[in-house]
Amino acid sequence: MIQASPCLPRWNQLVVRMKYWNKEMETLKGEELHALQAKRLRWTVERAGNVPFYQKMLKEAGVRPEDIQTVDDVQKLPFTRKTDLQGGYPFGFMAVPMKEVVRIHTTSGTTGKPTVVGYTRQDLDNWSELIARNLTMIGLTDEDIFQNAVNYGLFTGGLGFHYGAEKLGMTVIPSATGNTRRQIEMIDDFGVTALHCTPSYAMHIAEVAEQIGTTLPTLKTGIFGAEPWSANMRKVLEEKLGLTSYDSYGMSEMYGPGAAFECPERNGLHIWHDMYLAEIIDPKTEEVLGPGERGELVVTPLMKEAMPLLRYRTGDITMFLEEDCPCGRGMKIARLHGRSDDMLVIRGINVFPSQIEHILRSVPEVGDEFLVYVDRVNHLDEMTIEVEINRNAFRGELEDLTRAQNKVVGALREALNLRTRVKLVEPDSLPRYEGKAKRVIDRRGDEL
Amino acid sequence: MIAWDPNIELMPEAELKRMQFKLLKILVYRLYSFSNFYHNRMVEHGVHPDDITCLEDVVKLPFMVKSDLRDGYPDKIFTAEPEELVRYHVSSGTTGKPTVVGYTKHDLDMWTESLARALTSCGLGRGDVVQVAYGYGLFTGGLGLHYGAERIGATVVPASVGNTERQLELMQDLRVTAICCTPSYLAHIGETATKMGISIKDDTHLKTAILGAEPWSDQMRERIEEELGIKAYNIYGTSELSGPMFTDCSEQAGFHMWGDIALVEIIDPETGLSVPDGERGEMVVTILQKEALPIVRYRTGDITSIDRTPCECGRTHPRIARLSGRVDDMLIIRGINVFPSQVEHALLGIPEVSGNFMIEVYRVGALDQMLVKVELNPGHSRTKSTTS
Repeated sequence: MIQASPCLPRWNQLVVRMKYWNKEMETLKGEELHALQAKRLRWTVERAGNVPFYQKMLKEAGVRPEDIQTVDDVQKLPFTRKTDLQGGYPFGFMAVPMKEVVRIHTTSGTTGKPTVVGYTRQDLDNWSELIARNLTMIGLTDEDIFQNAVNYGLFTGGLGFHYGAEKLGMTVIPSATGNTRRQIEMIDDFGVTALHCTPSYAMHIAEVAEQIGTTLPTLKTGIFGAEPWSANMRKVLEEKLGLTSYDSYGMSEMYGPGAAFECPERNGLHIWHDMYLAEIIDPKTEEVLGPGERGELVVTPLMKEAMPLLRYRTGDITMFLEEDCPCGRGMKIARLHGRSDDMLVIRGINVFPSQIEHILRSVPEVGDEFLVYVDRVNHLDEMTIEVEINRNAFRGELEDLTRAQNKVVGALREALNLRTRVKLVEPDSLPRYEGKAKRVIDRRGDEL
Repeated sequence: MIAWDPNIELMPEAELKRMQFKLLKILVYRLYSFSNFYHNRMVEHGVHPDDITCLEDVVKLPFMVKSDLRDGYPDKIFTAEPEELVRYHVSSGTTGKPTVVGYTKHDLDMWTESLARALTSCGLGRGDVVQVAYGYGLFTGGLGLHYGAERIGATVVPASVGNTERQLELMQDLRVTAICCTPSYLAHIGETATKMGISIKDDTHLKTAILGAEPWSDQMRERIEEELGIKAYNIYGTSELSGPMFTDCSEQAGFHMWGDIALVEIIDPETGLSVPDGERGEMVVTILQKEALPIVRYRTGDITSIDRTPCECGRTHPRIARLSGRVDDMLIIRGINVFPSQVEHALLGIPEVSGNFMIEVYRVGALDQMLVKVELNPGHSRTKSTTS
């Protein structure tokens, strides 16, 4: 047996610094990478042919799978938008028989119905692999204890990270959200080393921990995502919680979280190039942009079986970073801050103003106009909606107003899974627009 | 009949008993050698692994009770190395600290396997769309059934609890064929459907319900089956055993407790002695292959009886009758276990109230409602007293 020399760094320390989950895929470069991407792109286009929407779209565009020879051939394909997915509700975009679909998740749609995403067993496996790569990349191992403080259930954040962390062999505490004191008690009692939640919930945990008087000494890694967070917020979170934090990006249409993730350099997020073909476009002209140019992220997943998507417009604004990453992995995108559409992220939940409108229109007591205010109160997002009343639906009793208000709050909670404040206002008291209506006033700014 | 694992499920009884004995023997040796807690218990009790010479000798081993788990908080009685643990679940404790259950990969695997067999025995399979409407997270119901349904290849809709109208919308739109939830929540879904003008019988594809986590009766089963036009199966399990694990089979005549997973005894709760098959008593369970948190002769507190006669379905594993009560004062409110001592503990933390209280439990519509009447602490209230 070979004895380790006391003068040299221990073998396992070296490994920790350089650890990859799937080194071959993570560090694939140049021609080899392009060949793999082209092959998988062609495969995806073939599969998409099983979906009536794509069959028609490809026919109209005159593109056959054989036309996809190189990565750049992706530009021959038309874009897919969120509203297209809406049209396929519920199973119109599945490319496999339902027998092969082992999981359903849903995400906010742009109107009343949610967007449905399906997964085959292989899809779940691919997704878990991405999360395992991410966690390994930031130095976590099967010895870590991982508290997953995000919503479980239909939201992809909870189960996505749960499966990935399990794959890596971590000890998973499926704490979900809520009961902050209990969360803190568990971090201390179980010696939790890594925490996953939204940045705003992390801030809340930090504050309550301060009140209780614990410094959460075991916590060393924070994984924050599902909503944008600033560099300033990162600084405060790291100070308060005494950890190193990493940004996570993804969306249900791309399996879920984990599609892109920060490495220890913490200068941009690696978007996993063997599973996603990423482009940046000008959202107005749809022209494809190069590294360093900010635009909308467009993604073609390369290995999705149940629900292939071609050139999916994420609505997220970012850019490719020009420099190679010292960690040896591939393409990076900048941290995400803006949207090309009007989607709002409220406490980690995506909300479209069109969705709010759709819900309000279904309540007879609601009049013609509404106005949404978004604020940050004690680090948590608050949405307040001013709603004009419909006089015809009232007899003039005060209790009618209370009932109507509760009804609106209930309808919004039911559809958005979000608690909102509703203020009823007089008819004709809200601004009217001649051009594009501006029904959302986001007052969160960049404050914490 | 389709069985998930015919080799095990249809195994002749004698062979099954041999297997159980072997597993028990391994378990006892392992715990005696590697667990301080069990070693000391066995020594105190004057029993050595060599004393276990046949399956019936299980009665020589000491009982384990809920407070043993609580006193071990959080991981004092775990027998797996920390890096082997892959999951924690946490359930409400009788006072203050909760009960923590740790799992190794093998523990999760056995739990999932148990449910895969159970769900298959209810007739579910790849073609089904299963809505899991138990709470996900620290509660074992959601993730347990999620993993079980995934293993049999069904399409899982992880709906979790709440938002009943959305649950109904999903049930219709996603062509859900089976739902897993508490019986009272299913009744609530039924009422909500009626209010919305939806008939579960005619307007959905629902045909199976896996119901548990709270007591329910055969009358309730009949009513649910008739009103909703489905088959309803009982599911049993507690987080100490791993989670929900066993269900009725297609015969709906008690749940099979897989012999290679669990060794069941029914005892007289007063004397601690076994009662004859078919007679009611407290269920005591030994989980034969649990790695992280071994469970040996665990007193579940549940009153039931055992039936070892052959089942029409062909499965040879013993059947446990629907639970008929509790030995202790535990209440089950909307699937959550509540001990009066827990309520007391919570109230003691509030200086404004005294320790005198009364719990009243109602059923409002289909859902349980708990009302706690509390006396104010006269020394603490200043001028105004409020009640809520």
